[in-house]
Amino acid sequence: MRAGWVRALWTTDHKQVARQYLWGGFGFLLLGGLLALLIRWQWAWPGQPVPGLAWALPESRGALTPPAYTVLFTLHGLVMIFFAVTPLLFGALGHFVLPLAIGARGFAFPRLSAAGFWAYAVGGALVLASFAVRLGPASAGWTSYPPLATPAFTPGVGQTLMTVAILCVGVSAFSYGLNFVVTVVRCRAPGMTWGRMPLVVWGLFYGAVLNVLFVPVLAAATLLLLLDRVAGTQFFIAGAAAVGGGGDPIVYQHLFWLFGHPEVYILILPAWGMVGDFVAYFSRKPAHGYRLTAGAMGAVTAMSGLVYAHHLFTSGLSPVLGRAFMVLTLLISLPAEVMFLNWLMTLWRGSVRLTSPMLGALATMIVFGLGGITGLVLGAVATDVPLHGTMWVVGHFHLTMGAASFLAVFAGLYFWFPKMYGRALHEGLAKAHVLSSAVLFVGVFGGQLAAGYAGQLRRLYDPYQYTYLKPLLPLNQWTTACAFLLGASQLLFVGNLVWTLWRGRAAEPNPWNVGTLEWTCAASPPAPDNFATVPVVLRGPHVLSQPDVQQQLGRDWMGQAEVAPLGGTE
Amino acid sequence: MGGVVGGEARVRPDLSPAPLILAESTPGPGPSPSEARDADPAHPTPVRSAPPANAVTQSVSEQASTGRAWRLAPPEGASTYGPQVDALLERSHVFEAGLAAVMLAWLVLAVWRFRGARPVVAANGGTRRSRAWVVGLAVCVFIGVDGTLFLGSERYAREVLWNLDVPAKDSRTVRLEINAHQWSWEARYAGEDGRFGTPDDVVTWNDLRVPVGVPVWVQVVSTDVVHGFSLPAFRVKLDAIPGRVNQTWFQAAREGTFEVACYQHCGTSHYRMRGLLTVLSEADYARWLREAGRLATQAYDADDAAAHWGWEWRAP
Repeated sequence: MRAGWVRALWTTDHKQVARQYLWGGFGFLLLGGLLALLIRWQWAWPGQPVPGLAWALPESRGALTPPAYTVLFTLHGLVMIFFAVTPLLFGALGHFVLPLAIGARGFAFPRLSAAGFWAYAVGGALVLASFAVRLGPASAGWTSYPPLATPAFTPGVGQTLMTVAILCVGVSAFSYGLNFVVTVVRCRAPGMTWGRMPLVVWGLFYGAVLNVLFVPVLAAATLLLLLDRVAGTQFFIAGAAAVGGGGDPIVYQHLFWLFGHPEVYILILPAWGMVGDFVAYFSRKPAHGYRLTAGAMGAVTAMSGLVYAHHLFTSGLSPVLGRAFMVLTLLISLPAEVMFLNWLMTLWRGSVRLTSPMLGALATMIVFGLGGITGLVLGAVATDVPLHGTMWVVGHFHLTMGAASFLAVFAGLYFWFPKMYGRALHEGLAKAHVLSSAVLFVGVFGGQLAAGYAGQLRRLYDPYQYTYLKPLLPLNQWTTACAFLLGASQLLFVGNLVWTLWRGRAAEPNPWNVGTLEWTCAASPPAPDNFATVPVVLRGPHVLSQPDVQQQLGRDWMGQAEVAPLGGTE
Repeated sequence: MGGVVGGEARVRPDLSPAPLILAESTPGPGPSPSEARDADPAHPTPVRSAPPANAVTQSVSEQASTGRAWRLAPPEGASTYGPQVDALLERSHVFEAGLAAVMLAWLVLAVWRFRGARPVVAANGGTRRSRAWVVGLAVCVFIGVDGTLFLGSERYAREVLWNLDVPAKDSRTVRLEINAHQWSWEARYAGEDGRFGTPDDVVTWNDLRVPVGVPVWVQVVSTDVVHGFSLPAFRVKLDAIPGRVNQTWFQAAREGTFEVACYQHCGTSHYRMRGLLTVLSEADYARWLREAGRLATQAYDADDAAAHWGWEWRAP
């Protein structure tokens, strides 16, 4: 019995690794979400005891104190980005679907997948352990800017543990990035040309390229920071704390954002891919401008490292660099617009089916659209200055990389769950979950945008210390109410999941009537080797509503590897 | 320490000409009793002590309590050039709201109209024409929305944000050195001799004073961690980074009391790193600086090394 358990955990089967990431990611999503609700509580009822938190903060009878609050927003950001959303998108959905969708028997480096998960698990364990150490967990913000993140100003062991934890997830992200890239380049089934890959594979591939390129930059910055913390080096220390020399804190900011901005695209590229596919599947129409969309995603990938310094517009950046990064940042919105218009064109004159993955994709489109549009003023120097460091920024990036990638995770999960576990989730509950989440996301992050426009700075324990922010209390309370409802609406998902795994009905082999390899050539759930025989791919992923297919097969879709009875299609 | 301030522009507030004609000259509410007392040489504010918090806070809250809770607008402005960037923000928001509305309407209409519609014959991936439309439309939207934003932003950056020639060429310019600490703003004025690092330097904590209608040239550093110096009412924001001097400038359009906020997370009490900026009439400012400089000279202690952080002013 125990041996079987251990064998399951040490598996190198990509589907099992995906399930491990799924549960790990959900655990940290829950943790990150609860931390977010505590932050929201503090802004609605500053200094009031949080019901049920007295055990954790006995001295203040459950009220958040400034040190507790700094821990909250630091860990919320770190946990959500590094331990929840990225692992869910790449670790869970990516690991599960990528080999299946390209007709591979597994990853190019199966042991690397497993090792990557264990690096992630060690990192996660360090984060959890940091709650128990003296002086508490990390508190220098998710960006960990030095000198604040150095021991002179944040002496706790928790900050060191978090630095090591980030290195661990860096190892994990680099390993699956490398694995994904090599697998897509080398392990596609015969006939699976670049132009026949589902868009989600494109998204995962580009995201993996960004992981390979930019996660090492983060690792370098984090490693130097770790040396500053434990080995007495002074790479990033200046000012009073610099004894005998010292370095430059700005170098860290450049390194961090050279990773940090591409990370936004790491999170959103798989989501874009899913939206592109799902909109086509559930409009029963080929994706409009497939090559344009894949090309636009490639353009964003190529430019992603060239826009990072708009995070440094207020750091005293030289006007030459400021102008260059303003132009590049605005320019990156052009491919995004091409992609968005392609999605809209795919919907138009389709036969739209509002399944739960489709609702998830449409919701992702909406929140991503709103998030992208609210980012334009942050890309231009003049308008960035008044908004920099305010809740406007928080609302903007939560819409794009929080709400959009979260909704995409659920769209993907609702889509592939029958394949993953062989059971069908309840559609009604899934739809209610997606809809309520989307509406409440817009409520929460729209409220943040409004507060930011009115000048509320982010990361303030008590914003109302500032007189000019006092009138924002009702707005913040309204936003907090939305956030709590959002948290509560996740019970729709949890209930659905528990019920389905316990009592759910067996899924049909191809519930969505699509032609991609995972649905047409593999069992649900797939066998350890994925396919009985390696499929030979004959056509693209979106052969839907083609008249000759309808005539010959009596259905509106055709498998990517399906041999046509009378002559080929496409 | 000491040395000659480079260039012609010395701070001589008492000799300054009549106030500049302002782009948007809003008459202030007049000095409140607390401000009048502060400016009175008979009751000077003690240098290096906390500002009269209660009285000044009251005057700030008077401004804030004008019922702006739900209005989507930036903080009430007090800067000569702030309205430019506010207008740009507002204009781009109108454009972006329009863009968002069109995209949402298109999406909703498509879903509503084609929900469960009979599938039509779909050309694979659209036609050459429809794809050209997509690219053309995207380029038009890009030129319209991003272009407006870029041109407006570039103009503001060229004329105001990065144009340090304005404070450099104005003989009345007030220079200010700010040293950020966990968790307060330490400000240094050159005093009447116009040179930093001399005994008559005026040093205040969380208490900035500037004259109305005069460029204020600020250089910021930090002693410990990265802080963010911001004047929300003036649309000013600049990192204070250990090991380097950053600079910006602004000009107050009206008298009053405004808040200085820190926008970079700088530790546990980051949220309390609040200062006050009082905009005085030129005469009141000159009187205050003269009196504060006199007191500073009296209290000057050459052995107090920690007090000598001021640097020789260097223009870029």
